[in-house]
Amino acid sequence: MPEIRAALGAILLAAGLAVAAPAAAQVPDDVLVVGQIAEPASLDPAVSTATNDFRILINLYEGLVRYRPGTLEVEPALAESWTLSEDGLTYEFRLRQGVRFHDGTPLDAAAVKFNFERMLDKDHPAAATGPFPLAFFFSSVDRVEAVDPRTVRFTLKERFAPFLSNLAYPTGLLVSPAAVTKRGKEFGRNPVGTGPFRFAEWQGGQQVTVERNPDYWGDPAKLQAVVFRPVADANTRAAEMLSGGIDVMVEVPPDTLSQFRDGDGFRIHEQAGPHLWFLILNTREGPLKDRRVRQAVNYAIDKRAIAENILQGTAIPAKGPMAPAFQWAFDPTLEGYPHDPDRARALLKEAGAEGARLTFYVAEGGSGMLDPLAMGTAIQADLATVGLDVRIETYEWNTFLAHVNPGLEGKADMAEMAWMTNDPDTLPYLTLRTEAQPQNGGFNSGYYSNPELDHILERGRRSSDRAERAELYRQAQRIIVEDAPWAFVAHWKQNAVTTAAVQGFALQPSFFLLLDDVTKK
Amino acid sequence: MTGAAAFLRRLLRNRLAAAGLILLVLVVLLAAAAPLLPLADPDATAPVRRLAPPFSEGAWLGTDTLGRDILSRLIWGTRLSLAVGISASLLAALLGSVVGLVAGYAGGRTDALLMRGIDTLMAFPYLLLALAIVAALGPGLLNALYAVVAVNIPFFARNVRGAAAGLRNREFVDAARLSGMGGLRILLSEVLPNVMPVIVITLSTTIGWMILETAGLSFLGLGSQPPQADLGSMLGEGRRALINAPHVTAVPGVMVFLIVMSMNLVGDGVRDAIDPRLRSGLPARPSAATRVARATASVPGAAVPAGAAPGEPASGALLAVSDLRTAFEGPSGPVDAVKGVSFHVMPGECLGIIGESGSGKSVTALSIARLVASPPGVVRGGTVRFNGADLLALPAGPLQRLRGGRIAYVFQDPLTTLHPLMRVGAQVTEAIRAHAPVPAAEAGRRTIELFAAVKLPDPASMAQAFPHELSGGQRQRVSIAMALANDPDLIIADEPTTALDVTVQAEILDLLDALRRSRRLAMIFISHDFGVIARICDRVAVMHRGEIVETGEARQILARPRHPYTRRLIAAVPVLGRAREILRASERAEELP
Amino acid sequence: MAAYALGRILALVPVLFGLSLIVFLIMALIPGDPALAILGPYATPENVARINRDLGLDRSLPVQYLSWLGNVLSGDLGRSYSLNRPVLDEVAERFSATLILAGTALLLASVLGLLAGIVSAVRQFGLADKLVTLAVLVGISLPSFWLGLLLILLFAVRWRLLPASGMYAIYGGGDLADLLRHLVLPAVTLAIVAAGVIARLTRSAMLEVLRQDFVRTARAKGLGEGRVILGHALRAAMVGVIPVIGIQAGFVLGGAVYIETVFQWPGIGRMLVDAIAKRDVLLVQGGVLVVATCYVLFNLAADLLQRLLDPRIAP
Repeated sequence: MPEIRAALGAILLAAGLAVAAPAAAQVPDDVLVVGQIAEPASLDPAVSTATNDFRILINLYEGLVRYRPGTLEVEPALAESWTLSEDGLTYEFRLRQGVRFHDGTPLDAAAVKFNFERMLDKDHPAAATGPFPLAFFFSSVDRVEAVDPRTVRFTLKERFAPFLSNLAYPTGLLVSPAAVTKRGKEFGRNPVGTGPFRFAEWQGGQQVTVERNPDYWGDPAKLQAVVFRPVADANTRAAEMLSGGIDVMVEVPPDTLSQFRDGDGFRIHEQAGPHLWFLILNTREGPLKDRRVRQAVNYAIDKRAIAENILQGTAIPAKGPMAPAFQWAFDPTLEGYPHDPDRARALLKEAGAEGARLTFYVAEGGSGMLDPLAMGTAIQADLATVGLDVRIETYEWNTFLAHVNPGLEGKADMAEMAWMTNDPDTLPYLTLRTEAQPQNGGFNSGYYSNPELDHILERGRRSSDRAERAELYRQAQRIIVEDAPWAFVAHWKQNAVTTAAVQGFALQPSFFLLLDDVTKK
Repeated sequence: MTGAAAFLRRLLRNRLAAAGLILLVLVVLLAAAAPLLPLADPDATAPVRRLAPPFSEGAWLGTDTLGRDILSRLIWGTRLSLAVGISASLLAALLGSVVGLVAGYAGGRTDALLMRGIDTLMAFPYLLLALAIVAALGPGLLNALYAVVAVNIPFFARNVRGAAAGLRNREFVDAARLSGMGGLRILLSEVLPNVMPVIVITLSTTIGWMILETAGLSFLGLGSQPPQADLGSMLGEGRRALINAPHVTAVPGVMVFLIVMSMNLVGDGVRDAIDPRLRSGLPARPSAATRVARATASVPGAAVPAGAAPGEPASGALLAVSDLRTAFEGPSGPVDAVKGVSFHVMPGECLGIIGESGSGKSVTALSIARLVASPPGVVRGGTVRFNGADLLALPAGPLQRLRGGRIAYVFQDPLTTLHPLMRVGAQVTEAIRAHAPVPAAEAGRRTIELFAAVKLPDPASMAQAFPHELSGGQRQRVSIAMALANDPDLIIADEPTTALDVTVQAEILDLLDALRRSRRLAMIFISHDFGVIARICDRVAVMHRGEIVETGEARQILARPRHPYTRRLIAAVPVLGRAREILRASERAEELP
Repeated sequence: MAAYALGRILALVPVLFGLSLIVFLIMALIPGDPALAILGPYATPENVARINRDLGLDRSLPVQYLSWLGNVLSGDLGRSYSLNRPVLDEVAERFSATLILAGTALLLASVLGLLAGIVSAVRQFGLADKLVTLAVLVGISLPSFWLGLLLILLFAVRWRLLPASGMYAIYGGGDLADLLRHLVLPAVTLAIVAAGVIARLTRSAMLEVLRQDFVRTARAKGLGEGRVILGHALRAAMVGVIPVIGIQAGFVLGGAVYIETVFQWPGIGRMLVDAIAKRDVLLVQGGVLVVATCYVLFNLAADLLQRLLDPRIAP
């Protein structure tokens, strides 16, 4: 059949042509391509909530303060210095001179005032550019005043120790008031900040490009441009890395990491951050109401196997509720719950909970959740060896949250959860206080209640003396570990792979991606 | 019971289907025997020895991302996936086919309504449906089944509807309707068997997809709940280790492939076994020309020198068939349908071949230009000389030039023998251009002339019609025009009037007779009806059980049949006074030249 | 035929209306909330209520639906909260990418499927038939994420012939050749399954047709085998195959989520999945409307083509 042969030939020819077509121009040496896990939702720092977006934001914008590279300590950024009043309620920031936004708008006290009022004041002219989901980070702010063009004063309603840390968080990054007013709701796709890079282009689903800001007040960025490419599939992201399509790959899945460890031409970067992966235990009803059963669960879980085998060393076993990344507040003497099935069995026997049936909510994915299905299954198996009969129910992330956030009562005994925070206060304050139980509008889905801890946490957030705070948080950790309202499982070690040509790259404990010092040889 | 046994026998005769069935049975047995086999605990995790490669000690197929034994999970998972995949497929097939059948058969408003419903379902985002199911019924593999079923209904409905709509106006459906059958009975007894192949194919192709689909849904919680294994979730879980431990997905992948392949092979077999037209032997598509396998030694009587059969003129004949043997290959070896037939046709002569159905007369006629469907047909001996050349030895090219060129056919039922989707004019034009390099316009003009010659009213507009728009008589006139397209020397008319009613029959016979005489054509006219044969033929050959039992002048045989079979045939001419008419017709035929 | 087509297009209106209503109801009734997607673990009832107010989700369901419907009728599909941009912009961008991918894949699937089906029918039980059948079975039983990654690893990582993912090169791309290079792997992956289904139905339809009387007539006319098969048999077989191609169009259009994910193709299937996960009801509605319209038009085209081919089907 000559017709069929001809058609086949035509197809082969077309395929050949497509393959042989000249390859597109190489990416220049001063342009870095970063493989992201998703397309950003918005590049407006007040709107954005995802770590994935923060990686871009932190290069476009700056806040009054920032985390010192390599730490979670606050240092000056757009504010040269600041003072705190005796009563701990008034912060006064002295702004850096001569800083301008990418659109030429000067960074002055009025601009700072605009930024915070946009988020906090419903009647602000630019309030419609929201919603601003994390505005509650600054809910303690009573008013913001422009004292003079270079001085801005924040007055708080109550003492709030994490205030500076929250200012360093992306929600505190400053946007150009002129650009917000001009672009309105479209500002999120046309961002204007003061950072070392300025926005160039956003192609939906394909790439966000930022380029060097030539008028930057500090040392200019070394790269001409950075391209952020969303590559949602982890395997494809690895393949892009292997084929030279990207220079930097973040969030390398544990099993893919070995590909790069073996090959030269790549460099692996790791950095533990303020992250905790844990199980919320239902302390109100069922077998886990008994503290001994909760402790047994903690002893039964082989955290080392989870961190080192299932997560391939991309996490470290957790000993308590606080991440070691909060160096000043972390208690290194804490023993936690080493893997001890015999101890677990003994505790269960003591509590008369042998063979208890537990319902376990497992997520199918979700931010910071690592590999929730595999981890959940492994935990199920660990608990089975000490005689607990665990039934897993899996849910898609949004459904999962809808089930877990209102509290586990009547539904489940355990649920997976993970948090990334920027201050030691945040996690326990939002999730373990009596006042934070779901009926009061908090995240204490397991209904843990300990008045002593409540008191310590309140004091911790009011104190402006860090040594005092550190001592309070160490106390808190000891109480929480002892009461075991959670099963403490792992702290994520953020990772990234770069090509060997990428120089000056380092991951931050804050999970941000600072690229102004990076070069490509 | 015997019906089922016969069905199974037919199914197993197909070697591929048998292989598929064996494979499928093996897989099912393996899955069913899971509790009895000495397998490791499929749910026992051992993170330390995760991702062990196949053939590791204690884990033949390696371990997965949690260090669980893949072999054990594979077998237990197959068990679950087979159950879910098969029940989902059957349910989707049932519901979809019902919708498709009703829509296709009823047509009109019902069709429109049902198909808009299917459109809605098809365009509905699957994930949303799945989420709604989770919300209503909770997570779990069984609930995934509903989502998978719902999503696959449109595939069946649209496929089946397409097939059923094509059948709605087919003659056998019309016939059933006229005979007073109810709609439901027609659907079940006439339409369903004919769309069954579509259902079976769609079923066998979707089943694997359904198993894969449960993996696609598992990220919503619609899948087996850990630690339970199914093939879909095994594929999904292995996905994250796809680059460094491909065996974790490859193992369940191969199992899905084996299931899909065996289901498809069985599906093909089932389709062929239930197809009523294929009950005799293997289905096979006919090749371009009947296979010729003349084995001189094995056929008695074949030693007679070709073209010199006793009593036949050795020269001057346009067509000389001698000792033709055509057989059909069956399951128990070839069965002869034509057993050593010899006859000849002189230029301009009309030879009638008469016999009852099954006598081999049509096979004889088709054997001349090697048009007997092959397989199963095969010419096992004899010669067919046309102008001296042996057609049975002719290569494909010359044979093709001869067909429709020097030798043309007119077949029995023009509704099925004309291409139903081509305008009749184009079909004739095509015949002209197949043999002569004439421009399309010229061929079109000649087509209209031919239509005029066969006395079709308004030939120009008639050429634009489709076969189903014409009456039976008009269609046969088109067939005759097509046969005349290249001024053949010989027309072989195989029961050309049988499908027509009596008055039209007479008109067509007159037409053929007149054309034959005016164009000096030789003709072989095949019929079971002595009346028809006598009306136009010079000589008659009477065929009975694959052999010519009597041959001679038409009038003579009619008047003095020698063979008892011939006498029976003449007596079978039913109408009183018919014999007289036949006699008159043959007298008239004598007067004419 | 024009009246029939018009009727079908008009029938689209109730279909879309019904679809949007069902989608809206399900989105409202399933657990989960846009605010949860925005806030994640920070979703206190207070924060959720504030966001719902900002998004207008605190109004009653009928009010929300009717206001959406009113906006749609005036050409405004609303604003996606999860992407912070007008739904229309996003849908238009994504849809054109999907159309390029799905169109190419469908063309490829039809050509490959028809060729494979014809070859295997004509060479029934021959070597070619067996090879094609095997290839088709492998094609329909391969998980597409597997095939997709395999192609990426071979063509992009090992041989460096084609880009691994994306639609255009980051630098110096944007022309047709660049698009084609990026299109090859996803289109082939997407086409394989559809081609398998088309091939099997073509083979079966061809075998059916090749046994029919009019094929013998075509041979008796003296037509060449190529013309008998392609001109006569295929033409009749296509009547049954075309609706199947229409259905595959629907599959290729909406069901390409895995392929869009694996190849990071900015298509509408993936957009819908993300939108559903984030409970972005307006974006879901916009996407569903476009996909449904396109699906219905594809099937209408298939039906019209079928009618064009088969004059026996009454208009």
